[in-house]
Amino acid sequence: MSEAILRVENCCTWFDVTRGLFAKKQIVKAVDNVSFQIFPGETFGLVGESGCGKSTLGRTIVKIYSPTSGKIFYKGEDISTLEGARTKAFRKQVQMIFQDPYASLDPRMTVGEIVREPMDIHGLHTAKEREERVVELLQIVGLKPDHIRRYPHEFSGGQRQRIGIARTLALDPEFIVCDEPISALDVSIQAQVINLLEEIQKKMGISYLFIAHDLSMVKHISDRIGVMYLGHIVETGPSHLLYSKPLHPYTRGLLSAVPIPDPRRAKERRRIALSGEIPSPINPKPCCPFATRCPNATEKCFQAMPPTVEVDGRQVACFLYEEGG
Amino acid sequence: MSVLSVEHLSTQFTTDQGIVRAVRDVSFSVEKGEILGIVGESGSGKSVTMFSIMGLLAGNGTVTDGRIILDGEDLSPSAFSSEKEYEKKMCAVRGNQMAMIFQDPMTFLNPVLRIESQLVEPILNHTKLSRKEAVDRAIELMGKVGIPSPEKRIKQYPHQFSGGMRQRIIIAMALACNPKLIIADEPTTALDVTIQAQVLELISAIKDEFGSSVILITHDLGVVAQTCDRVAIMYGGKIVEQGSAEDIFYSPNHPYTKGLLGCVTNPESEFSEPLHPIPGSPPDLLKPPAGCPFLDRCPNAMRVCRDYMPETTVFSDSHFSRCWLNQKGGAAG
Repeated sequence: MSEAILRVENCCTWFDVTRGLFAKKQIVKAVDNVSFQIFPGETFGLVGESGCGKSTLGRTIVKIYSPTSGKIFYKGEDISTLEGARTKAFRKQVQMIFQDPYASLDPRMTVGEIVREPMDIHGLHTAKEREERVVELLQIVGLKPDHIRRYPHEFSGGQRQRIGIARTLALDPEFIVCDEPISALDVSIQAQVINLLEEIQKKMGISYLFIAHDLSMVKHISDRIGVMYLGHIVETGPSHLLYSKPLHPYTRGLLSAVPIPDPRRAKERRRIALSGEIPSPINPKPCCPFATRCPNATEKCFQAMPPTVEVDGRQVACFLYEEGG
Repeated sequence: MSVLSVEHLSTQFTTDQGIVRAVRDVSFSVEKGEILGIVGESGSGKSVTMFSIMGLLAGNGTVTDGRIILDGEDLSPSAFSSEKEYEKKMCAVRGNQMAMIFQDPMTFLNPVLRIESQLVEPILNHTKLSRKEAVDRAIELMGKVGIPSPEKRIKQYPHQFSGGMRQRIIIAMALACNPKLIIADEPTTALDVTIQAQVLELISAIKDEFGSSVILITHDLGVVAQTCDRVAIMYGGKIVEQGSAEDIFYSPNHPYTKGLLGCVTNPESEFSEPLHPIPGSPPDLLKPPAGCPFLDRCPNAMRVCRDYMPETTVFSDSHFSRCWLNQKGGAAG
């Protein structure tokens, strides 16, 4: 197997939310002891419900947040040690697509300026080449060259997301973190953007970390998927295996809650109802994060953290699959 | 008899840029005890249709045409002599005979009032119960929608509840007076999948227990497949196809319906099938096309589609579609 482009090792991103001088320390463990790898040209999907830490993890990877502990290696280099010019070089290779195409584009800049800005910052190409590159990028994402002089408010949500993608591609990145790139869009537009992302990947061999809560779309685009719950990755595996035979009780519950667009099948399939809601991530107990909602929970689950074990080509953190368990 | 029947409803908004014809000639009905799904993209007019029925249009919006009949009673604004009369009637109907569940529960709960006063209000307004009886009824409702220890939690404020629990409170408020019709406007869009499954199950259970009819507005075809008996597909302010859930999913007729189904994937399928997105974007309702609103994005568009809206083709008692492809001689005409 080839060398991983991104390797996350025991990454923790914690936030101190203590209020008051003498108050008890309160820590939100948004990302807690997470490890995974992404290989070149691969799409790794990260799913989970809101508050599970998937966006925090994505932002830690692009160095918006720095990890509390643990290491993140990009092409074998620990990104937390990067400084100055080397950070800039890292940012040139690793880009991000944001969720809200209304908030992530500067309303006072024209589309041409928005797409050109990353090249200006990194001093790529001559002025004339940049102009040509902007036109080329707009064509890649399916916009017209005469859109250059228009402003973001003149575009629909789907078109704005295309502008965002063009800007992301301006630096020829090798790795893109897509943080819920389609959840603000209409169904018919979502499919357009997904197809565009797949096309770009095929053409340029970019690796994606695809963060989303829409499980059907994640399955469609991802080669491998990690399921997050309360700051932990509870299961990782190839997407078809994970969906056909989920191992972790949370993955099972989550998948059975996904509505499927087939009325007959929807009526006959059995839903594993997950009762209750996600517990607070402030000062979590050192036990299985899912224990409070798990239908298979035993006493052991409330006492210790389950180790991550390898089962059927997947990594799963659950006592059910522990040796002799 | 239908609980609600809407005939040829048209609604428009006056804006600085001109008149937006948000809903154009929409007709549908809701039978007793059924869940009707209304599917459409943003701007297709699905929410405006519901606001027109509830009499909750913004100040610049007017119902220009059509009739709205709830349980045999004409509730179209044109049936009243003055706006005041209409408003008075609607105040008695809203929350009593029909109620609405909104997309974002936090926006529709008052953050500075306890749940108790917000839940008791519709009961006191529409029934002759005393305050104490109303509180008991409110606690009973909270129990019915699955909120644990309702006696305690009724004293709390909205911010002390999670998103799913807030949506349950909104549902309890909607149920307060046993309405004949509940309109749920994207009730689960703001919620996570596992919570969404809980809320959808609750809505189905309530429909059975209270015998209410439900209109469920959504853009998620999975939610429709799981919950709805009948489905209406809206596009550009018009209903383009209507049918039972099976009609829509297994024998879709309108190119837009087919297009929508090509945009979703089934997470249960072994291999991921390619997506077939609909090119382009929805029409501008400031200048609505004279003909079919789907014209610009339709793979089968013909010359006739540009100038004339197709008539309704009836396939069965429940399945209708509006497309020139179904009209004999349509291609020539």
